[in-house]
Amino acid sequence: MNDIIIAGIGGQGNILLSRVVCQLFMNRGFDVKSAENIGMSQRGGSVVSYIRVGDDVGPIVPDGKADILIGLEMSEAARNVNKVNKDSVIVLNNRFVRPKNSDLKKQQILKFFEENFSKLNVINAHDIAFELNMPKAENITMLALICKEGILPFSKEEILRALEQVLTPKMYEMNKILVEKIYERY
Amino acid sequence: MKKVLMGNEAVAYSLFINGVNVAVGYPGTPSTEVIETLKNFQDDDFYVEWSTNEKVALEIAAGASLSGARSVATMKQVGLNVAADPLLSLSVVGVEGGLIVFVADDPGPHSSQTEQDTRNFARFCNLPVFDPSSPKEAFELIKPAFEISEKYKLPVLFRMTTRVCHSNQSIEFEFKREKRKIKGFEKKPDWVILPALSYIKHMELEQKLQDMKKELSAYNKVEGRGKIGIVTGGVSYFYVKEAIKGFEDLFSILKITVAHPLDEGFILEFAKDKEMLIFIEELDPVLEEEVKLILFENGRIISTYGKRNGYVPFAGELDVDKVKYIFYKVLSDKRFLAKNTFTDVLQIPKRQAQFCAGCPHRSSFLIVKNATKDKDIIFTGDIGCYTLGFAKPITTTDTCLCMGASITMAQGLNIADSSKRVIAFIGDSTFFHSGITGLVNSYYNRHNITICILDNLTTGMTGFQPHPGTGKKIYGEEGRKVSIESIVKGIGVERILLIDPYSDFTENVDKVREFLNDEELGVIVFRRECANLKSRESYFKINKNCSKCRACLKVTGCPAIDEDENGNIFIDSTLCNGCGLCKNFCRYSAIEKVMVK
Ligand code: SF4
Ligand code: SF4
Repeated sequence: MNDIIIAGIGGQGNILLSRVVCQLFMNRGFDVKSAENIGMSQRGGSVVSYIRVGDDVGPIVPDGKADILIGLEMSEAARNVNKVNKDSVIVLNNRFVRPKNSDLKKQQILKFFEENFSKLNVINAHDIAFELNMPKAENITMLALICKEGILPFSKEEILRALEQVLTPKMYEMNKILVEKIYERY
Repeated sequence: MKKVLMGNEAVAYSLFINGVNVAVGYPGTPSTEVIETLKNFQDDDFYVEWSTNEKVALEIAAGASLSGARSVATMKQVGLNVAADPLLSLSVVGVEGGLIVFVADDPGPHSSQTEQDTRNFARFCNLPVFDPSSPKEAFELIKPAFEISEKYKLPVLFRMTTRVCHSNQSIEFEFKREKRKIKGFEKKPDWVILPALSYIKHMELEQKLQDMKKELSAYNKVEGRGKIGIVTGGVSYFYVKEAIKGFEDLFSILKITVAHPLDEGFILEFAKDKEMLIFIEELDPVLEEEVKLILFENGRIISTYGKRNGYVPFAGELDVDKVKYIFYKVLSDKRFLAKNTFTDVLQIPKRQAQFCAGCPHRSSFLIVKNATKDKDIIFTGDIGCYTLGFAKPITTTDTCLCMGASITMAQGLNIADSSKRVIAFIGDSTFFHSGITGLVNSYYNRHNITICILDNLTTGMTGFQPHPGTGKKIYGEEGRKVSIESIVKGIGVERILLIDPYSDFTENVDKVREFLNDEELGVIVFRRECANLKSRESYFKINKNCSKCRACLKVTGCPAIDEDENGNIFIDSTLCNGCGLCKNFCRYSAIEKVMVK
């Protein structure tokens, strides 16, 4: 059983990323279930997706059960730490969008993760996506880097296949180039 | 084929496969994706549209059904309130072709003004209601829902909740459409509901409910043989299954898939050897009340735990951990207590929902706010993205009730205290949904309010559906375009002002201020395409002239503007949509445009 959480803010492509991850597992022959919040919350709010590999379960990951937490945004990752445990793998995008009305600092959040988790990975998806001129594609950038690092066990070919299944042809072409570049350069 | 489908998509696929002929709805989270998915399918005997509101949608579906077509009307739970009028009559009149009323409930709520429970509506209208637990089950239940509807000649409610609508599951199916012949409308006195007939039909309806109980009971199931009975349904069924993992022997589960009507025999059989019953359900205690009534009527005394005695919360949604906690409380068994690893984590404050960066509504609200600075004014709001006009720092929305109510509540506020000016805000889609009648009332009865129609040329909150003002139909093909200004003029309103919220801010403020001087009924149309519909041409950045005065940040509240640890103001170049609004509030020429390559 693999439980994955993807946390971010509206507009980061969280839901699309969750779709692609589901497709990746399904292509390996697993049954998947996932859940996400859509609507009002997307307007500048928190967005969280739960992915559960296995079928006879509900859509929400129970507290402490997540094997992997992927944070497209750091403070959103921190918001969901009740879902993980000390042994969970944490992947953080090096991106911090401060919740207004807070004096949270990026360093503070990083420190928290460093102190509490041994399997912590910080990934520069936001900057890399910007460098590659696709600032809105930090989600797929993140995925490519996660797989390249071996944090999720999928090959480049598998990523491309899943993208082709999930995206429109036009979107696929753009993201294909992105993934190729990431595998070449980073 | 095997595909990952969202609950709503699974419903759409199954509707199409099972030969639905007419699919209509009004967008509303979490129901929207049913029609959004159906629009990807085409066939010569299949029609799909976005209707102007839920009442319109259900009446179209009813008309189609009387002709023998399989039809579906989709909406969210509050939309069902709008469609309640035709639905209650339809349960008495009956249908011909299978008619499914798909309603998405929103425990939590995540994206709604109420947590109402459509299973209660089913009791109220005397209709059967399916309540699937997962996308896969939803997929499987569409076929019987049509069949029950056709067999008993009644509409069938198909109710899902957010966590079923918006969860995804891999589903294996054959994508092949069932072809049915539509027999056409047959004239019958039955189709004209008159009081005398209504009485007779009501008796028939009660009989039909009795008749269908046994058949519907086949969709409910019992699992396990433990002495502690759990009665559950919908997504809660899975929470229960996960919560009792490792303790399965203690429990047996009664999973209710058709929540109304319930078959007494089946319930009594389940309860026969149970020591107690625990009711795990979201929203209203529907199963709890129905089951308890059956037990009472049959002289069966048993201890029960649910919402009625405070063991299960009335508000909010459930999850595995909450269900475990309920078991812990009922059974005083510590093994059900969750171990939380991180108890005193960083406190991350809730992210306030806000207008997107570059949202034209932010500008429209600020124009009105600035134009009315020195006046005591009540601002009534409505349902849509622009409800966010209440949030800081815009704070230009004082009320929000339901679709269309900004215009009508404004009139009431004005009647009650004529010394107060009232300005109503309403969106384009909502104006067509239920704003027009309020405007007619205000013109007719001489209620002198100001109405701001915020036209962003789409239905923004639910994911950019077209509506009459866009002139585009569901596939993007040409419909007829309805002009908001022509409607307003056609009603008789003479004072209309058209504003582009992206054009010169100060000029716009002056125009609006002047317009408000005349205290007659007036309509201002703010028109600018939603920021999410266009690819951006530019973004803005802060240069070294910045004095750190924070004016841009404080006035606009744009999510793209923030300050770093050293108090330096910056614009997040990924978020900024290039609207240029913030530039108006910088006295140091520190905000400059960058064109996108
Ligand atoms: S131009 Fe200013 S107000 Fe407009 S989106 Fe960019 S930062 Fe926000
Ligand atoms: S308004 Fe101008 S000077 Fe003031 S903080 Fe913003 S960019 Fe800097």
